[in-house]
Amino acid sequence: MTCHKTEFLITEYLEADLSGRQRSILEQHLRECAHCRQELEAAQQTQARLCTWQDEPVPHWNRVPESMLKPGKPRRVSGFFGWQWAPLAISFVLALAVLTNVRISNTPDGVVVAFSDDSGVSEAVLKEQLARFEGLQRQQQEERMQALTVRMEERLDAANVQLMESVVSQFGETTSRSLEQVIAYFEEQRQQDLQVLQSSYQQLADSDYQTVRSVQQLANYVQYQAGSR
Amino acid sequence: MRPMRQDEALISEALGGSARAWETLVRRHETRVYNFSLRLMGNQTDAFDLMQEVFLGVFRNLHRFRGESLFTTWMFRIAHNKAVDMNRRRRLFSEHDLYAQQDAEDDTDPLDQLTADLPLQDPAAMLSEERSNRDINRYLIALSWDQRLIVELKVFQSHTFDEIAEMQDIPANTAKTRFYTALKKLKDLMEQEHDMS
Repeated sequence: MTCHKTEFLITEYLEADLSGRQRSILEQHLRECAHCRQELEAAQQTQARLCTWQDEPVPHWNRVPESMLKPGKPRRVSGFFGWQWAPLAISFVLALAVLTNVRISNTPDGVVVAFSDDSGVSEAVLKEQLARFEGLQRQQQEERMQALTVRMEERLDAANVQLMESVVSQFGETTSRSLEQVIAYFEEQRQQDLQVLQSSYQQLADSDYQTVRSVQQLANYVQYQAGSR
Repeated sequence: MRPMRQDEALISEALGGSARAWETLVRRHETRVYNFSLRLMGNQTDAFDLMQEVFLGVFRNLHRFRGESLFTTWMFRIAHNKAVDMNRRRRLFSEHDLYAQQDAEDDTDPLDQLTADLPLQDPAAMLSEERSNRDINRYLIALSWDQRLIVELKVFQSHTFDEIAEMQDIPANTAKTRFYTALKKLKDLMEQEHDMS
């Protein structure tokens, strides 16, 4: 048996701001119509099931837009360019300098930059340049490492606070069972932290390896050039 | 201080350039917006993107907020529009298979990539309630976009049918029929699952 009022009745009944009179008319119909009663009950159960949704925590993100940060503060170099291409770019510039026989000398008349000079690039000057480059590179890596450590700490702190909040909200009363779960949570979190740290160090190591390889290749090339002259 | 007053004070400070006030305002509302996004988009990646778009939209339009309605009402209008836009874009991208290409071109922080590869950050979310959320998400995803949106607005955001009709530019009766159809479909899905288990 169906009732042509069912849809109207259910949608009206689920409105929060129904007046007392409207509600009593609907309830009168519900007392008389079994079909509408069943449908309403099903609709309410469906809504109740949806309302078992538990709010999930928001992942870490940068909430403040860059335009709001202090003027003059340097814009953070994005990870892609900062991490992967800097050593390659420096190597490229140095390689170009070697190929074109660029020579920079400090004479009494000032700094002189010479291209394709017959005298070629002196090995001693190049070794000095490479040593300087290595020092600069090491310093940059240390700075990156420090910045990464600070950010990792911030991130892990935020995750731990979030974890504590959720644990406290869920287990207000301390029981042995909840303690076991708390320990399990922390173990889980520790494993995640370790994974993040491991991946981060791997990335840094890869970056270092790339730099060392670039410098080695360059040094080999210079040796070859010097030897062929 | 009442929540509404707190929001207004924070908005005023944020408009004056206070990053701290803006961050506090975002923290007050981000969970609601994120979960709204999660139910509509059905996955964490899209939900996270939508949440960021919503707050970017709120930030850009903050000077337009006149305090004539609650901040949350105003914010969820923006959220609704952003969700509709994103759904349209997603549909367009999936049609032309540009989705993966767009993701590959994203310039992201390596640390963000690292954490994105990991399972959920909060281990507590791995417990039973998260399973319940996954079930609800599965039911919602089975609805059409219009039905899902109306269920979100009615059940989770507690809007009246008149408000929904105005937001979506449809007659109130259409909103009611759409909601009723969605509820019936949800009921069937839940029953099917119950029978199978």
